[in-house]
Amino acid sequence: MKEVTDSTFLEEINGTGAPVVVDFWAPWCGPCKMISPIMEELDSEIGSKVKFVKVNVDESPQVAQKYRIASIPTIMVFKNGVPVDSLIGFRPKQALKEVIERHI
Amino acid sequence: MDNRYDIAIIGSGPAGISAAINAKIRNKKIILFGSKDLSAKLIKAPKINNYLGFYNVTGEELKNQFQRHMDSMGIEIVNERINNVYAMGDYFTLMVNEKMYEATTVILATGVEYTKPLSGEEKFLGRGVGYCATCDAPLYKGKIVTIVGYNKEAEEDANYVSELAAKVYYVPMYKGEYNLRSEIQILQDKPVEIQGDNFVSKLILKENEVDTDGVFVLKDSVPPAQLVPGLEIEEGHIKVDRLMKTNIPGCFAAGDCIGKPYQYIKAAGEGQIAALSAVSYLDS
Repeated sequence: MKEVTDSTFLEEINGTGAPVVVDFWAPWCGPCKMISPIMEELDSEIGSKVKFVKVNVDESPQVAQKYRIASIPTIMVFKNGVPVDSLIGFRPKQALKEVIERHI
Repeated sequence: MDNRYDIAIIGSGPAGISAAINAKIRNKKIILFGSKDLSAKLIKAPKINNYLGFYNVTGEELKNQFQRHMDSMGIEIVNERINNVYAMGDYFTLMVNEKMYEATTVILATGVEYTKPLSGEEKFLGRGVGYCATCDAPLYKGKIVTIVGYNKEAEEDANYVSELAAKVYYVPMYKGEYNLRSEIQILQDKPVEIQGDNFVSKLILKENEVDTDGVFVLKDSVPPAQLVPGLEIEEGHIKVDRLMKTNIPGCFAAGDCIGKPYQYIKAAGEGQIAALSAVSYLDS
């Protein structure tokens, strides 16, 4: 999964008509570590229809602030640059997949 | 993974023990988490007359019978508190602070001893309310954070948060000495409600109210939906079907945590169903 930052974020979520799933994470967050292999799996399963990226909230505080990330992991789904869904906290793979697939 | 268990059972009351016994009979590799007293509720019961086969016993006597049964089958209780269970897809990761266990299936038999959430707690979850202060603290850099602490461990978290936040309030829900950094303000008061618009802005207490950007609720026992993120709850209990299946494949539940009546033999029966369902899930 591609790591995006404060400076590349807008370009990455706007650049495509497909939904973009953003995983907000940080290295010190335990549940983030658990969700990250699941996101990688989803990326390889449905990555042709959905774009998956991640944002390290430590390194990109502006993006985190802009979307008012108050708890991590937060998974946000963007469509045409606009947030359409967000899931806060760890979720099982099936639950994540169902929510993401709603926006395809 | 070699040390992955077939079935991890969380809880050592009648539901958990019955699940463990039945899973063991079916030759599965199990791990049972709980306490050496088995169940705080069981040892407190003065007289039990509705457990088939054991007329007129005390809770203590019934507990001893359960213990004997487990001993004779070589079932041991692992005295560790599971903080989180993560459904990874085809297995589960069970977290105990820094340590973790893996199991293909999980049976939740946690009882119903958790404290009720504060008013507004669920509404603002992830929008100012959190359960993991060390996870989310850096997001509150320079902001005001209130910690409602139900145990001593919460003090360490408060101290950590105070290194980053502009201001930390600590609301202790227990009596004792508080080992807190001097800049933390202790509020000896009862929290009533968390308020805000889209995000938390205030904590209302019985005598006070404080402006705050975040509230961390750090409890002793966690409600099931927090223990297993993504678990479906219905009217305060874990939602299961007749085979004790939850909404998460491979995760089963039994006993008081799935609903009333809160009775020993009902719990034991459900523990058995859950174990057999887990066995058929493993064999499928």
